[in-house]
Amino acid sequence: MSRPDPGSTVVSAAAARRGTIQSVDRAARILKELGSGPSRLGVTELSDRLGLAKGTVYGLLRTLERQEMVEQDPETGKYRLGPAMLQLGNAFLDNHELRSRSLLWADSLASRVGEAVRVGVLNGTTMLIVHHVFRPDDSVQILEVGASIPWHACALGKAVVAYADDHERAALMREPLVALTGRTITDPPRLAGALGAVVAEGFATEDQEAIVGEAEIAAAVFDHRCDRHARRCSDESQSLGGVVSRAVVNDHQFAGH
Amino acid sequence: MAGSETKLTQTRPERMVAVVSEPDLPGATPRFNASFIRRWVRASAAQIEANRDFLTQLDAAIGDADHGVNMDRGFGASVVDLEVESELGPGELLTRVGTTLVYRVGGAAGPLYGTMFRQAGAVLSEATFDAEDLLKALRAGLDGIQGLGAAVEGDKTIVDAYLPALQAFERALRAGDDVASAGRSAAEASHEGMRATIPLQARKGRASYLGPRSVGHQDPGATSTSLLFVALASVTSGAP
Repeated sequence: MSRPDPGSTVVSAAAARRGTIQSVDRAARILKELGSGPSRLGVTELSDRLGLAKGTVYGLLRTLERQEMVEQDPETGKYRLGPAMLQLGNAFLDNHELRSRSLLWADSLASRVGEAVRVGVLNGTTMLIVHHVFRPDDSVQILEVGASIPWHACALGKAVVAYADDHERAALMREPLVALTGRTITDPPRLAGALGAVVAEGFATEDQEAIVGEAEIAAAVFDHRCDRHARRCSDESQSLGGVVSRAVVNDHQFAGH
Repeated sequence: MAGSETKLTQTRPERMVAVVSEPDLPGATPRFNASFIRRWVRASAAQIEANRDFLTQLDAAIGDADHGVNMDRGFGASVVDLEVESELGPGELLTRVGTTLVYRVGGAAGPLYGTMFRQAGAVLSEATFDAEDLLKALRAGLDGIQGLGAAVEGDKTIVDAYLPALQAFERALRAGDDVASAGRSAAEASHEGMRATIPLQARKGRASYLGPRSVGHQDPGATSTSLLFVALASVTSGAP
C-alpha cells in the first residue's frame, strides 16, 4: 500500500482547493476513502488517513449519515458507504449520454458477434467501463461496469487515445505505462506506432495485453463536436468513448510456438 | 467469506507402487518416471475437485466466479488424458496435460497453468528424472507463467504461492533433505504465500480493475497453485 507523503498532499491540496469549500472537499474525501478501502472504517482510521482531527471527521460523518451517504455498522461502530451512494452511482450511469445511446446497439452487437461488448470513456489514465453486455453464452461472467482499465493495455483506450489531440496524447504517454501481462506495450515509441495504426485502420486491437487469455477489438465513437471529414476530434471531448468486443483467444495461444 | 480458511483436503493416498523405475544403487538419488507425473496430476485433480466451490467463491469476490469450475473441468479432462496416453514419458505427459489445460480451463488460468505444465514438460526429456530435474521443471513452469503474465511477487497472483514454494523446495534440497521433506516444505510455503495474498491489492488480472477493493480477499490463483503443491507433496511423501 503506497500512500502519498502527507506533507506533499497538504501542499498540493491547498493549492488545488483555492476557491472551493473546504468542508465539502473533506466530505468528498471521506466518501472516496470509504469507497476504495477495505469496506468499513472507524473515526480514528479515517482521521489518520485524511490527516484531519477526529472531531472534524465525526461531524462530517454525522452530516453524511443524515443524507444516507454513509451508515454506521451497529456492531462495530465503523462507517461504510450508505444507500444514497448507490442511487447516485446509478444516476451517473443513467445520465451518461454515451451509455444511454449505446444500450440498444451494444446488445445487438453482442448477439451478432457472440462476444462480450463493453463501452468505456477515458477517465484520467484509465478507461472507465460505463456499459457491459455479457458474452451471449451460458458462462458465468461478472459485470464490469465501473471497472477502470489502464488505457494503454486495452483496445478501448488505444481507440480513444489515438484520436486525442497531440497535447493530451503526449501527456498520457508520459504517465507510467504498467505491464499488466507479458504482452502489454510499455515502450512509448511502440505504443505511438500502435496508435498510428489505429488511425490508419479505424479500429484498435489488443491481444492479451490486459488479461491473459483475452483479446479485444475496439473503435472510437465520436460525438457531435468532431470534424466528420477528418475523423479527428477538435476538442477535448468527455463524451468521446470506445466500444469493444472481447474475444477469448485461448485457441490460438500456441499458434506462434 | 473473506479470510475463510482453505480446505486443504488430503487426497486418499494411493498404494505405493513402483516409483523407482531402475534398480538404484544404495544411497543413489531416487529417480522417478511417468507414474510420478500421473500421480501428481491425479492428486491435483482431486484437490481441485474437493475445493472447486471454494475456488469459485474466492473468484466471485474479485474475478469472474468461474475459477473452481474451470480448473475442475481442465484437470478432470487431464486425468482422462492420462488414461488414454499410456505410452508417454514424464515430460510428454506434462506437455500433454498443459495443452489440455490451455483448451479446457479457459479464462486466464488456462493459458497460465497450461504454459506452466508445457514449459515444465519441456525440461523432462528423459524417461526418468531426479529431484534436481523436478526443481528445474518447476522453475521452468514459473518462468512460463511470469513470461505470459508479467506478474512478480506481491501482485496477488499465482506467483505469490508458486515462488515461495519453489524457493522452499530448492532450499530443502540444498540442505540435503530428501524429496519428501522438500515437497512438504514447498506445500507449506505455498500455503503461507497464498494466505499472504489476502491484504494485497491486485496489480494483475481482472481483480486489478477493482483497485483497492481487491484488498481483504484471498487470491483464487494463488489458492489453486497451493493446491497443486499440496498434491505434489502427497506424491513426494510416497517417494523413497
